[in-house]
Amino acid sequence: MAFTNEDAAHLLRRMGFGGNLDEISDLEARGKEGAVDYLLNYQSINNQPLDDLLAASFNFADPRDNNRFNQGEIRRWWMTRMVHSRRQFEEKMTLFWHNHFATALSQVQEIYMYIQNLKFRQYGLSRFDDLLLAVSQDAAMLIWLNGLQNVAGSPNENFGRELQELFSMGILDPVTGQANYTEDDVKQVARAFTGWKFRNPRQAGDPYNVEWFVQNNQHDNGNKTIYAGTPYQVSGNLSGQDVITVICNRPQTGRFLTKRLFDFFGYPLTSSSEDKATIDKFASVYASNNHSIKELVRAIFTSSEFFSERARYALVKQPVEYIVGAIRMLGADYRPGANISGDRNQTSNVLAGFSRNMTQDIFNPPDVAGWDLHLGWTNTATMLERFNFANSLVTSRNHTNPGVSITNDQLGKYTKSKSKKTVNKFLDVMNLFGVPKQVKTNLRNYLETNDQGVKVGYNRDDIDKKIRGLVHQIMCLPEFELN
Amino acid sequence: MVSLSLLMPKVLLTDARAQSTNRRIFVVIQLGGGNDGLNTLIPYTDSTYHSKRPTLGFHDTELVDAQSKSMILNSQFGLHPALTQLKDLYDQNRVAIINGVGYPNPNLSHFTSMDIWHTANPTNPTGTGWLGRYADEKLAGQSGLVAASIGTLPKSLYGDQVVVPSISSFQNYTYQTDGRFTGDRNNQINTFNANNNRVFDAGSFAETIAEMSVGAVAGAAQVQAAVATYTSPVTYPAAPNPLSAALRMAAQIITTLPQANLLYVQMGGFDNHSAQIQGTNKLAGTHFTLLRYLSEAVKAFYDDLAAHGLADKTLIMEWSEFGRRPNENASFGTDHGTTSQMMVIGDPVVKGVYGEQPSLTDLDQAGNMKMKVDFREVYATILNKWLGVDAQEVLGGSFDDVGFLG
Repeated sequence: MAFTNEDAAHLLRRMGFGGNLDEISDLEARGKEGAVDYLLNYQSINNQPLDDLLAASFNFADPRDNNRFNQGEIRRWWMTRMVHSRRQFEEKMTLFWHNHFATALSQVQEIYMYIQNLKFRQYGLSRFDDLLLAVSQDAAMLIWLNGLQNVAGSPNENFGRELQELFSMGILDPVTGQANYTEDDVKQVARAFTGWKFRNPRQAGDPYNVEWFVQNNQHDNGNKTIYAGTPYQVSGNLSGQDVITVICNRPQTGRFLTKRLFDFFGYPLTSSSEDKATIDKFASVYASNNHSIKELVRAIFTSSEFFSERARYALVKQPVEYIVGAIRMLGADYRPGANISGDRNQTSNVLAGFSRNMTQDIFNPPDVAGWDLHLGWTNTATMLERFNFANSLVTSRNHTNPGVSITNDQLGKYTKSKSKKTVNKFLDVMNLFGVPKQVKTNLRNYLETNDQGVKVGYNRDDIDKKIRGLVHQIMCLPEFELN
Repeated sequence: MVSLSLLMPKVLLTDARAQSTNRRIFVVIQLGGGNDGLNTLIPYTDSTYHSKRPTLGFHDTELVDAQSKSMILNSQFGLHPALTQLKDLYDQNRVAIINGVGYPNPNLSHFTSMDIWHTANPTNPTGTGWLGRYADEKLAGQSGLVAASIGTLPKSLYGDQVVVPSISSFQNYTYQTDGRFTGDRNNQINTFNANNNRVFDAGSFAETIAEMSVGAVAGAAQVQAAVATYTSPVTYPAAPNPLSAALRMAAQIITTLPQANLLYVQMGGFDNHSAQIQGTNKLAGTHFTLLRYLSEAVKAFYDDLAAHGLADKTLIMEWSEFGRRPNENASFGTDHGTTSQMMVIGDPVVKGVYGEQPSLTDLDQAGNMKMKVDFREVYATILNKWLGVDAQEVLGGSFDDVGFLG
C-alpha cells in the first residue's frame, strides 16, 4: 500500500513531535518500513547541530553548582532537545518512559531525575527486562517508592505494589480480565527488594555515576512464594532480579505494555474482542522477540492498526506535543539562551513554563501513575492555556533574545496571493488535512475582514497582523488539539 | 449520641433554611494520598491503638494544641493537635465527624480508590462522577458559572451535560489576542466562536474539546469581571498553605457569582509511607503540617463566608481515598489502609461524632479496619437533605441517612 504524505505526517507526529513540510516529504520518500526504520535507528542520524547547541547553552559539568544545574535547567535542557533534536523518536520514547515510570521532582532531586532520563535513553529500546531492572535499581525510583526504607522484617510495600500495578502487568489482565496479583504478592515482592540502596559517586570526576548495591543485613533472604496457585507460581529465596525475570516472562506484561504503548502512540484500546486481539497480536511480538522493546514498537508503527482510520487524530495532543509541534511545523525558533557562566538571566525556559500551565510539568508528573492522557489534558483552564500559548507564539516578535519567536519572513513562505490558497497552505503546514469547508470559509472571512467588521478583501502583505492571527485561529481549532 | 446545635435548634434550623434564599452552597475538599484518619480522630482510650502506634500514637495528655487548649471531644475521641481551629468550629456546633467510613471490598490503590469515591461505584468505578450527575440533574441549563474546580478537574465532577471549569489562576483565565492589533480582537473572537460552535461526531474528542473551548472563553470573561469586585475583611493563611490559596479563590467565586454553588478544592501530600512525623516529634512533620493547613484554611474560609452572610448557606465536606494501616511501619509512617473519618463542616450541620470506631483487634486479612459506614451514606445525606435531589437517582441505590443534617 502506498505511503502518502499524510501517512508520513501522521508517523512523524506520533514517533516525534511533528515537523515541517520538507521533513515530512523526506520521510514520505522512504516508504513505510524505511521511514519507521529511519526514525527507530536514530543513533544513525546526525545530531551535531543539537550537540553544538547544547554545548553552547548548558554546563552540567558540576551538578552541585546550583546556578548551572537545577530543576529549571534540566527542564530547559529537555525542551531544547524536543524542539531541536533530529533524533525525534529518542525524545518521544524517553517521554513515554518518563510517563510510564513516573517519578518526580516533587520528591526526587534533580540530579537523580536527570540520571534517570539518561537511563531511559540508554535502555529505552532494549529488552524490557533490562530497562525494568535499570529503573528499579536507579536512585530516582529507590527514593520515590520508598525502596530505601524497604528492609527485612519491616518491608515497605510501595514499590512492590506499583512495580506490578503500574510498571509491568497492571491490576487486571487486559485480555482475560483476571487479577494479575494479590495483596499477598505485593508483600512477597516487597520482601525480594529489601535492602536495595544506592551510593553516591566517590570520585568528584564522575558526578553522575550513582551505584546500586544491596545492603545484605537489610535484605530478606527467606523463602518467598509469588503468584501461588497460578501457572506463574515460583518459590525460593527470590531476589528483586528474579522477580523482574518472572514478571517480564508473564504474558500479562507484553499485553499491558502493548496497551500502554497504544494509549500513548496509537489509539486508546477498549475491552472489545477486536482490541483484545490487537493486544495479543503485539504481545506475541514482545514474547517472540525476547522482550525487545525496539521490535515491539517497530511492529506497532508499521502495522495496519497504526495507519488505520481509527488511529488518525485519535489522541489528544499532550502539552509538549502542542507546543513543540507548533514550533517545528511552522519553522518558528526557540533560542534557549546560554548558561555557561552561571547567569540564568541569559536563558529562556518559557516552553517548560507553558507546558506546566497546561498541566504537563516535565520531570514532575503529578503522581506515580503518570499524566492523565487525552481528555485528561483538557478542561476549560487548560484550553485557555493552549489558546494563550498560541497567541504568545504568534505575537513573539523579538528574534534575538532567548525565547521563542517567528518572523514575518518565515510566515511569508506559506503566504499566497489568494486567501483561499493561504488558508489551505497553512492548514497543510499545521497538519490539518480534511477540515470542513465551513472552517476554511471562517478562516478566509477572518483574513478578509477589517477592524470595523467589514469584509474588505485580503491583503497579502498584512502578514504581521492577519497571518499571525490566522495561525492563532488555526491553533484554536478543535482539530488542532488532536494528534 | 447526637447533641443539638445550641445556636440554632433543629426546628428553627429547618425553618431558617426554608425561609432563606434558595442558595445551597457545597464545597468539597479532597485530601489526596490517603489521610491517616486514625490520627485525625483519635481513639485515645483504646490500648490497641497505643500498642500498634508506639511512636505515632497520641496519649490523652498529648491531646492539646499549642496554646494548651484541650483537643478532646468526648470520652472516646480527641482531635489531632494541629486541628485547633476545627476544634473551635466543633465547639461552636459547626462540625460533624463521621467515623469508620469506607466501602465494601476496599481497594488499596490510590487511583482505583479515588475513582470509587468519585464515581460512587465500588464495583465499576468508571464514567460520570457523583457531583457530575448531580450537576446534570440540578444545574444543567442554568446560565452563568454554576460550578468550578480550583486546580485540576476531579472525576467527581465529570458529567454528561454540565462542563465544569477548572481554574488555577484568575489572571491567566482569559482569551488573549495580539496586543499590537487590538482592533482585530473582535474578528478573532468571532472566528474562534464560529469554528468551535460546530456540530461534531457524537462522543468524539473534538466534540468534547469544542464544547469546553466555547465554555472556557465565555466563562472566563464572566469570571474575570466578577472576581475583580471581591473584597473581604479576612486574612487568609499565607503561602505555602496550598489549601488556603485554593479556598480563597473559591470564596472569590462564591461571593461574587451568585449562581456558583458547587466548588471543589484539593490538597495532596497525605501518602506518608515514611516520616509522617519529624524524627519522633509528633508535633511536626508532614501529617502535622498538612492538618494544620487544613484547619487554618477552613477557618479563614468559614469566616470569609460568614462576613458575606453565607455561613448558613454553605456546607463543606472533606474526604480522602482511604485511611492508613493501624500498625505504624519501621519508617515512622503508615501504609495504605481502608476506613477513615470524614468531616462535614458548616452552620447547617448537627454537631457530633457519627458512625463508629472500627475494631483495632478484629482487622481484615491485610491488617486494616473493617468499615462501619459506607461513604455513599454520607453522599446520600448531603444529596437528599442539603442539595435537594433524590440521592437514589444520583447514586444508583438507596443509602441510610447518617443524621448529621438533622
